[in-house]
Amino acid sequence: MTHDRSHPAPTTIAGPMGDAGRAEVPDGPVDPRAVRVSVSASARLDGDPAITVSPSPDPDMRLPQDGDPGSPLPLVDGVATAVRLERFGDVRARLVESTAGSTGREIRTDVQLGPVRIDPRHGTRLREVVVDGWRIEVEVEHERRAALRERARRGAGVASHGGPVEVRAIIPGRVVAVSVVVGDSVEAGQQVLVVEAMKMQNELRAPREGSVQRVGVAVGDTIEVGDLLVVIH
Amino acid sequence: MKPPFRRILVANRGEIALRIIRAAHEMGMEAVAVYSDADATAAHVRAADAAIRLGPATPADSYLRVDAIVAAAVESGADAVHPGYGFLSERASFAQAVENAGLVFVGPPPGVIAALGDKLAARRIARAADVPHVPGTLEAVAMDRPDQLARVIAAAAGVGFPLLVKAAAGGGGRGIRRVVVQDELPAALVASSREAAASFGDGSVYLEREVMPARHIEVQLLGDSTGQVIALGERDCSTQRRHQKLIEEAPAPGLTETERRRLHAMAVRLGVAAGLQNAATVEFLYDRDGAFWFLEVNTRLQVEHPVTEMVSGIDLVVEQFKLAAGAPLSDRVRAAADRAPRPTSHAIEVRISAEDPARVFAPSPGRITRWAMPAGPGIRVDTAVEAGDRVPPEYDPLICKLIVHAPDRPSALARLRRALDETEIGGIQTTLPFHRTMLAEPAFVNASGLATTWVEAHWDGPASRARAVRIASLAAGLAELGGREAAQVPGMDSGASSEHGPAWRSDGRAIAIDRWPR
Repeated sequence: MTHDRSHPAPTTIAGPMGDAGRAEVPDGPVDPRAVRVSVSASARLDGDPAITVSPSPDPDMRLPQDGDPGSPLPLVDGVATAVRLERFGDVRARLVESTAGSTGREIRTDVQLGPVRIDPRHGTRLREVVVDGWRIEVEVEHERRAALRERARRGAGVASHGGPVEVRAIIPGRVVAVSVVVGDSVEAGQQVLVVEAMKMQNELRAPREGSVQRVGVAVGDTIEVGDLLVVIH
Repeated sequence: MKPPFRRILVANRGEIALRIIRAAHEMGMEAVAVYSDADATAAHVRAADAAIRLGPATPADSYLRVDAIVAAAVESGADAVHPGYGFLSERASFAQAVENAGLVFVGPPPGVIAALGDKLAARRIARAADVPHVPGTLEAVAMDRPDQLARVIAAAAGVGFPLLVKAAAGGGGRGIRRVVVQDELPAALVASSREAAASFGDGSVYLEREVMPARHIEVQLLGDSTGQVIALGERDCSTQRRHQKLIEEAPAPGLTETERRRLHAMAVRLGVAAGLQNAATVEFLYDRDGAFWFLEVNTRLQVEHPVTEMVSGIDLVVEQFKLAAGAPLSDRVRAAADRAPRPTSHAIEVRISAEDPARVFAPSPGRITRWAMPAGPGIRVDTAVEAGDRVPPEYDPLICKLIVHAPDRPSALARLRRALDETEIGGIQTTLPFHRTMLAEPAFVNASGLATTWVEAHWDGPASRARAVRIASLAAGLAELGGREAAQVPGMDSGASSEHGPAWRSDGRAIAIDRWPR
């Protein structure tokens, strides 16, 4: 649910606030508390951005309203942003975004926060957040660690290009066709399996070209999310 | 009132099985459930007085087993069998097997199911009853006679392009091929016929004009054993995708009383001509020129039957049982049919399915972790799942029907908006965001753009999801800064005390209260 309510414009604005309710902050060392949030690998769509959220480096940077001095503003991608989270128990919360200046308003969006669980493969923290009926699973990790991992990935990029790729199940269902056998060469996009789920047949395609190193399932098998289906080398 | 039967068997699963069991219990009848291994602890099994296992999860090994279901009915001492929708509900051989076992089938007679289930036969019945059918052929294309191709091409030219090749035994959108130019026709005939033979065991296909843009409007019929048939009003089911309905409402917005009377009379004529008994639905396309074209008949209870129940005040499942026991159409039902051309309230149903509207409605089965349904005036929720349940991948993705009822369409839309705001589902992706977006869509809100092709032409799932991704990322990041929460260890309850540190308890609550809009 989103509420969009106007409220009286703030009388004073501490810090270099602009009309957008955001202020540039000079570059500095990464706050050790900063976290990077991205849509988890299994839920990600092309173009889903990652953001970095960190506590306010300057306790005077606030968005006051109605005589209330307000709380220090967090940094979102390095920019002080008038946004806060109000929690109502374990699951329900409300994200409140403010715009400053003469059009000062608050946009409130109800969200449901699932419990935090640890990704067993990467050690990152995963959490389901439901917004307007969308179930978004996000991955949260410390900004410093995320930057390290990114650097490591870039360094290994060239070498890993020829390595094996595991195709895992992203939906549970039943395997109704296996189109490849070990040793087959496949093109990127070539059909490797057909999985039936909820009366619909879903084709699984090779993520890149290579040869089939392993086929982990057979026709008739019931599969769960994350099951290893095919390895392409 | 004496119950029409002592004990009935429900040959279905999910919300519709529960819906039928509820009606049976309210009428003083005992209910027997059947189940597959995937549903051993399901709500319909728990609600029934007795439950009989059919077999493994795969429908062919369980809910589609005519022999096992008839045996279960006989063994459990049931007097009647209600098939629900889907599965065996429109299979004449199942209705016949039930009757052969000396039990009552709650639905039209087997011969009527067979005649109307063959779309070509139904089109011929419509023509005989002076009900205009979608233009096209009335006989199957002779697929085994290549020398007849010239005749088929001439027939196609008469129908006009683009046209649809359809399976006579078709259903659920299977076996349909769209043909834009004549050159595509032979390949489409072969593909459609092959798909129909594989899906339905009958490769008969025919040609039909593509009526577009059009609305899908259908009429609810009830008939008794004396040959009396009445229409209980119409439903608009134009919001659909690949022939799967997503939103349904009653009455159809914008029709005049004259149009309603004409439409209801056409459906009744067809029902009488077919010898209809019990319940069925006649589907029409309504084109921009105000013409109704007969499409097909569904000889069963429809998924969307609740909207008719809300507006007519008639419990269709209760009526089905009474009619199956041989009762004539009641005065109450006749009075409701008389009122139907001048409806005085409005109902809307949204189908909440385990599908991802950002990924072309791909199935998204899994475990439901959170389930909070709306309540309050004018709200009806037909579902059979709750938090902790696993939505199995073997069956239809429909998990919940949310129905609202209000004095008119604008207030029904407002009520639906409010109800969707109250609905919270976690653990699996559902079609909830699609429905929320539709309620902000002028084409739907004004009913000006209702068309069967609207969703495929306009719905952009990823774009609709983009704002949610930003909000979710901000919320998760701020929650993390507000105090690092303990991660949940699988199989261990983290406990409420460790879930949130002092951050929310002191600051969060104070902020929540202090910052309330003044």
